[in-house]
Amino acid sequence: MGKRIKNNKTLQSISRIFRFGSIQSVITLSFASISMIAMLLIGIVFYSSFSENARNNATGSTTQIMNQTRLNLEYYLDSMIEISNTIEHNMDSFTSGSIERLEDILSLTLDIREDIESITLYADTGSILMSVPDLKFDTNMVPYDQDWFIFAAANPFEYIFSTPHVQRIYQDIRPWVVTLSRGVVLDFPEGRRNYISTVDMNFSRIEEVCSQVALGHRGYIYVIDGNGKIIYHPQQQLIYAGLRDEDIQKALSSETGSYSEKINGEEISTVIMDVGTSGWKMVGVSYVDEIVRNRRNFNNLIVVILLVGLAFIVLASVFMSYKISQPILRLENQMNRIEKGDFNVDNLEVRGEDEVKQLTRSFNLMIERIRGLMSQIISEQEAKRKNELKALQAQINPHFLYNTLDSIIWMNENKNHEGVSAMTAALAKLFRISISKGNEIILVSEEIEHAISYLTIQKMRYKNKFVYTIDMPEELSGFSTLKLLLQPIIENAIYHGINNIPDEGKIDISVSREEDALVYKVCDNGYGITSDKLKNIFMKESTSRHSSGVGLKNVNERIKLYYGQDYGIEIDSEPEVGTTVYIKIPVTEGNNE
Amino acid sequence: MNKWMKTLTAALILAGLLVSCSSSSSVKLNEDINIKVIVKKQNHDFWAVVEQGAYAAEKEFGINVDYVGPASEEDISGQIRMVEVAIEEKVDAIVLAAIDYNLLVPVAEKARAAGIPVVIIDSNIKSDKMNGFVGTDNVDAGKVLGESMVAVLGTDIDIVIVSFVKGAASSNEREEGVMKIVNQHENINLIDTLYCNSDEDIAKRLTKEILEKHPEVDAFICLNAYATVGTARGVIEKGMEGEVSIIGFDSTPEEISYLEKDIIELVVVQNPFSMGYLGVKHALDAIKGIPFPRSVNTGAVVITKENMYDPENQKLVFPFVD
Repeated sequence: MGKRIKNNKTLQSISRIFRFGSIQSVITLSFASISMIAMLLIGIVFYSSFSENARNNATGSTTQIMNQTRLNLEYYLDSMIEISNTIEHNMDSFTSGSIERLEDILSLTLDIREDIESITLYADTGSILMSVPDLKFDTNMVPYDQDWFIFAAANPFEYIFSTPHVQRIYQDIRPWVVTLSRGVVLDFPEGRRNYISTVDMNFSRIEEVCSQVALGHRGYIYVIDGNGKIIYHPQQQLIYAGLRDEDIQKALSSETGSYSEKINGEEISTVIMDVGTSGWKMVGVSYVDEIVRNRRNFNNLIVVILLVGLAFIVLASVFMSYKISQPILRLENQMNRIEKGDFNVDNLEVRGEDEVKQLTRSFNLMIERIRGLMSQIISEQEAKRKNELKALQAQINPHFLYNTLDSIIWMNENKNHEGVSAMTAALAKLFRISISKGNEIILVSEEIEHAISYLTIQKMRYKNKFVYTIDMPEELSGFSTLKLLLQPIIENAIYHGINNIPDEGKIDISVSREEDALVYKVCDNGYGITSDKLKNIFMKESTSRHSSGVGLKNVNERIKLYYGQDYGIEIDSEPEVGTTVYIKIPVTEGNNE
Repeated sequence: MNKWMKTLTAALILAGLLVSCSSSSSVKLNEDINIKVIVKKQNHDFWAVVEQGAYAAEKEFGINVDYVGPASEEDISGQIRMVEVAIEEKVDAIVLAAIDYNLLVPVAEKARAAGIPVVIIDSNIKSDKMNGFVGTDNVDAGKVLGESMVAVLGTDIDIVIVSFVKGAASSNEREEGVMKIVNQHENINLIDTLYCNSDEDIAKRLTKEILEKHPEVDAFICLNAYATVGTARGVIEKGMEGEVSIIGFDSTPEEISYLEKDIIELVVVQNPFSMGYLGVKHALDAIKGIPFPRSVNTGAVVITKENMYDPENQKLVFPFVD
């Protein structure tokens, strides 16, 4: 149950956030959208600068890696040229007929250089003059059919690197080699003669160098010669088998440098380099997206940061706007209540931001003021009313006085001196208690005495048309009471009750204590009051000519003014049977003075 | 304070969700894909080239390839165990060169049932549940043998076919291919078909026997490397090199040497590099749901003494293997 209420509350607060135009929604939306835009801008700027950077780095590192590979390749090729030169430099020993010296040098070179497979010297007829290692030749091989032989013979003094091929000089030995061939022209006493020298380097060295290059995960390099023939390609066999394409012509015709293109939506960067003097070209192919793989990771990171940040901002702005608008909302609620006239509101707790605190404080002050003014008005009104009533109760209906004085005169003329003195004494007592030095509060015994005085006068005037009883327990006589409560009731009982009945009237007056209340009971056997009249009995002012001037309504109002709403008059009446009036006041000790 | 904590927790949960979402929703990266290549035999000429092809694909696509194979081509149970291990390892795909046409079927189908794509290379199995096949179309290879025989020797000849295992799928298919050509020419006379059980010595013995019985034989059509080498040895021992032509299969160094000595007329070679490469490539396609041809013929190339050193053939004939 409690949970549901809480949910409800959450729902309410959520709906409040999205109540368009509310402070909270304005703050939330504006704050969130501004931060979102800022974050997006930052993200975009970061991303673009990062990816540009990463891309430059990638191209840079590709070039760097390739340069390293190129240097390695050039080293191998240069070393072959050196060996080839060694042959040439020692050719004079050849012309002098001592071929062994050259053979020794070359064997030594072969021993040192594991990557060199064989070194051979051919005559221009194709016959082998000398070869290291010294193994059995394969007679199937015809040198002047081979490209490297033809080119070298046609272009003496040029270094000609072959494409990788299977060397078949020796029987049953078929190594993959790259051959450097060179035509050498020697002058013999008997004339000029052409020779071809070859150096075969194990191709696996070159392959190793090229295949170990890592351009990202999928990038690779390949090497072609000046005619576009493949020296090395990691997927050479697939190209031969037609399973793969490589745009060798483009690489061949392109300048040294780098270019990038989109193939199947992938950005591919190609770097082309010349390898030394060999005429070879090294081509590096790398997948930009892959090399810049960090870019994707970074991408994800940015997205995650953006989303997390966004969530944070939204929550923070909701919280913030709630913090700001909540006190205002409380204030609004309070004002609504006051608008409806409920001033009995508690002071609002002063909290929240400074401005709101100020506002709350002012609001509280205002309520305080209003409340003060209102209570001032109420007490002023009460006082005014009390004074009015006081003035009223002090008034003795002159008719009553005339009638009483007439009765006294009449009794005097009849020589009823006893009656005169009794009535005069009663009248005197009545006035004394009525006035009672201006005090509102008198003792219960005085109030009873007042009632008795009145009854005495009336009884004489009405010639014993009624009897009355008084029942006042002695212990109650000392309590205090508002004065002139009983007299108007008795007056009513006489004029409206028993005056109109043929039988002898009877008025019973008693005082009793009911817990904290003191109850006067005035019971007559008079005419009674119809329930219609009873309803309005407290509405009308007493206007009777006979009335002493203080009606039921006045009595009731006075009691309530003095003692509060819990006290007052209650009337039980039954037509033809009689009326009982209960006057209820609180028990208060009398301050007898 | 409490409210702050709540906000913070909510934000963290949200962040966690986002992170987990973004990482789980993305497709498997190539670098996380593991493909197991199981071949018939490790460290053997032919299979070493298959391995090169497989690793070329590994490098090109940035995946992980694990290359295994039993020590011997007869180790059927060893190969079955390797497939089992691959299934247990939950590899993303298997590339298999089946040693046996029938016996590898259950385990290969088990892998398929486990949701692992299986691409067969070189030697197929008797199942239609595999994702694809990459290898030499043996009927086609047989036809190539037959056609090049006709091209070199004409259509009026007496021939002997030296096959390897009677009933083996590949030998049957190659035979079938050869016979298609033979049957086109009524003057080609098939004297006999011999089965050497992939044993050079048996091939040699059978060759010598048939040469004694039928000295008129013009050519031997040999359907695998063992048959080719054995037949060549038999012919040499009989001293009939030059008189009898040999049309062979595959390119072992010994065969190459006979080819250079004109003892063998020509050989038909396969393309193991393509098998390895395409096997892995198609396995990757199967993982990613990219369509690829169910069956790929990697082709058969005729190698003669004349073209064996051509750049495009050199690597087929002389695969360089470290």
